[in-house]
Amino acid sequence: MNQNPHQEIRQVLGRVKRDEFIGRATELQKLVSHAMRAKGFEGAGRPGRARGLLMLLAPLAGVSELLRQAYDELFNQREVVPIYFALPQTETTAVSAAIEFLNTFLLQYIAYRRGEPSLCRLSLTLNDLVQLAPAGDLPWIEELIEAYNLQRFGKDDRELVRFCLTAPNRVPASNGRPFVMFDAVQLANYLDSAVPLATEIVRALLFSNLPFALAGLRREVLDAVACAGGNFGSLELMRLESLKDDEARDLVVSAASRHQVAINEETRDLMVQQFEGSPFFITAMLQAAHERNLTLDSYLACERLYVDELMGGRLNRYFSSVLEHLAPETETRAAVIRLLCEAVPTGSRTSSLEAWRKRLNLDSIEAEQLLRALHIQELINWDGQTVDATGSSSLWKDYLKSRFRLDALREPRALVVADVMADALKRAPQTIARHYRKSAGLRLRGLLDKFNFQLVPKRLFDSAEFASSYKGATAEEIAAGLDADTELLRLPQVFHTASGVSFSPELRQFGEESSVVAHAFEGGNYTDANEIVWLVAKVDSKLEADRNVTATWLDRLESLARQSGFSRAQTWLIANEGFSAEATELLRERNAYGSSQQQFELLSDRLTDAAAALQQSVEANEFTLILPMGGDNELLAATTVEQLARRLNFSPEAINQIKTAVVEACINAAEHSLSPDQKIYQRFRVESDKLVITISSRGIVPANIQGHIEERQREQLRHEDNGEDTEQRRGWGLKLIKTLMDEVEFERVDEGTSLRMTKYLRKAS
Amino acid sequence: MRESIGSNVRSHCVGTTAVVYASDYLNKLTGERIEHECKKQLDSGARALVIDFSDTELVNSIGISILLGIIDIAEKSGALVVFSDVNDKIVQLFDMLGLTLHVVLAKDEQEALSGLSSLLTQTRSIGH
Repeated sequence: MNQNPHQEIRQVLGRVKRDEFIGRATELQKLVSHAMRAKGFEGAGRPGRARGLLMLLAPLAGVSELLRQAYDELFNQREVVPIYFALPQTETTAVSAAIEFLNTFLLQYIAYRRGEPSLCRLSLTLNDLVQLAPAGDLPWIEELIEAYNLQRFGKDDRELVRFCLTAPNRVPASNGRPFVMFDAVQLANYLDSAVPLATEIVRALLFSNLPFALAGLRREVLDAVACAGGNFGSLELMRLESLKDDEARDLVVSAASRHQVAINEETRDLMVQQFEGSPFFITAMLQAAHERNLTLDSYLACERLYVDELMGGRLNRYFSSVLEHLAPETETRAAVIRLLCEAVPTGSRTSSLEAWRKRLNLDSIEAEQLLRALHIQELINWDGQTVDATGSSSLWKDYLKSRFRLDALREPRALVVADVMADALKRAPQTIARHYRKSAGLRLRGLLDKFNFQLVPKRLFDSAEFASSYKGATAEEIAAGLDADTELLRLPQVFHTASGVSFSPELRQFGEESSVVAHAFEGGNYTDANEIVWLVAKVDSKLEADRNVTATWLDRLESLARQSGFSRAQTWLIANEGFSAEATELLRERNAYGSSQQQFELLSDRLTDAAAALQQSVEANEFTLILPMGGDNELLAATTVEQLARRLNFSPEAINQIKTAVVEACINAAEHSLSPDQKIYQRFRVESDKLVITISSRGIVPANIQGHIEERQREQLRHEDNGEDTEQRRGWGLKLIKTLMDEVEFERVDEGTSLRMTKYLRKAS
Repeated sequence: MRESIGSNVRSHCVGTTAVVYASDYLNKLTGERIEHECKKQLDSGARALVIDFSDTELVNSIGISILLGIIDIAEKSGALVVFSDVNDKIVQLFDMLGLTLHVVLAKDEQEALSGLSSLLTQTRSIGH
């Protein structure tokens, strides 16, 4: 894709300008790239390339504008013929939808061929389209319409649907290559259709030679592809969730500016959280504010508009439409509302299909269809047996509750409005507070996830020692001190984190995210002996946490460990200002770590940097060499590294040291693993002040060697090779490497070994 | 003086001293060849070994361990061992692994031979 992002893109179908289209930049790029990549396809089944892109949506994640923006970009680039079709919400038969598709396809195709985007917005008949068709397209379009007229008056609806949906295949290759973007978010509305539209759409797309993108609700699209016998291996997948917080914030700001609605930072954040990052709800709210000429600069203004919209505006229309499609019969709909409403406050997470069937007064097939439809919309989770209605959004719950009180309980509307509004206002600060706590908790979990065997200064886990070393020091002095710190702690690799509440409900009182249980492995391999659980809690204390508070938290976490049967656990408390002297003493007695918020931040920065450095290394200044084991191939590695070291102006003596270390590492790699591919993988990363070399090999490391490696990892390669006979002398390789290089470390790998060696460039003084 | 190139290892004898030439890269294979040659020379009555490293650019730890083995064997046979013409980089490696504690280093083959000659003469006269 060569499009300059700053270049003006002519709006064809897009409803907002490109610079106002917020939050889906990566997805847009991927979609356009998919179309462009696919332009080179000549026939189906070119190996290694997916022709189809499945766009799997979370409900309300929004995809239509993304597809329209992609359409505009492709229309402007003029490499493929973009076709965008959204299943109509109002036409709910497969035949009418398919005919609409045929019409849209021809309209957009002719608009593209004529270079007249305005045609796309017209409503034209097939006869009009024939009149507009360029001369070069007239023969095949006339033939298509003639064939369509024959099909149209036939008796086989399914044939007609197929005919219409496969129309893009009739475009001669020399006239352009259509790229169909099928927006099937409304597919659930076609469930009752006599022709299985979902299957026909998927079949038409999958079994044509053309590239395509199919977007729809994730639960539905996956089912449809499976039912149509689609091969997922030949499809690319794109998952679309609600917007991330920062993207949603940008969207609120952009939409507010577009609609000239005054907001402030507090209401911006409230809208992001309350509408759960849904582009649809956020945009609907700001459009409504614009129409009513409202400002949204207070929680009160926001919640008042929200309740108005929920009771009678866009939100109400959206939810009502979903419900009406799910349960067209009034009685069934009322029963669904009652059942869903009752499921939430009782806290009963599940009920059976049979219970629902009886309450809905439906036969088994009807009940299953209804539950499936609710499941697709993610209003419930249904596994075929049990129904869980507790996980849906708070907006949907508000809607259900108000409908239930108005329709079933016949309560006065004014009372319901007042109550919903009062609830919304009371909930607003809680929503924001929960968001802040969650963000802090997620940071903690994110940090644990980054541990990944990294080495960090041990001082970061002891607040008293840290304070005695760095009290009053500047940030630069602390950073330099930590860089030079030789007492290091090897962090474990965390493979699962969860809130402490998931293990001990009594921790709920301190907030869902105040404690984290992290399952991890220490050492080089995944064994029982290396398994450990880190129990981490953020202690709420304005000043240094005292002995009592510390003892209470240690008791809680140790009790959690006992109850959960964790055989090895490491506790770690984090308090804003660290811990008092008595508390520190207690932490040490109980082998627990204690950090201040400052230490937490420093640790966070160091781990982030390591990850970024790793990423950077992959991108730039890295050379890879793969050599077969055996022969004198290590000499090739030595020659390569010599050239690289020369570029960095290492001294001849240092170059020789590096070469010897590389030779030794290659010998070790070849000798120490039962390698299936008999290859030595080498990465040389050139940085301004150092050369980092990683030598790895696949295979099963023999147990005695593995033990050796683990011992080395634990004890930082201490010197121990003093044996005298030849066999013992054969262990000299590692000792030599350690002596010749500045840093030597075994990286954890799933298979085989990976030795990382670093040599620093020392300028001649 | 007789010269032989057994298993690609060049060597020759000067009196009871055998001079064996190491190749450009001393690893397991070339180390074992040198070891084989040294044993052969000792079995043939050599009283001293000079291993010449003038062609050697790179040595690995296996090669060094084999050299130590050769020193052990020579010691057991009552023979002397001298390494000649070892470049500085390799000397540094030998130092690291303690090899220089067990062997005499000579600037070149000539120095090694003359040193050994006087040493062997002294030994012989002490023996008589």
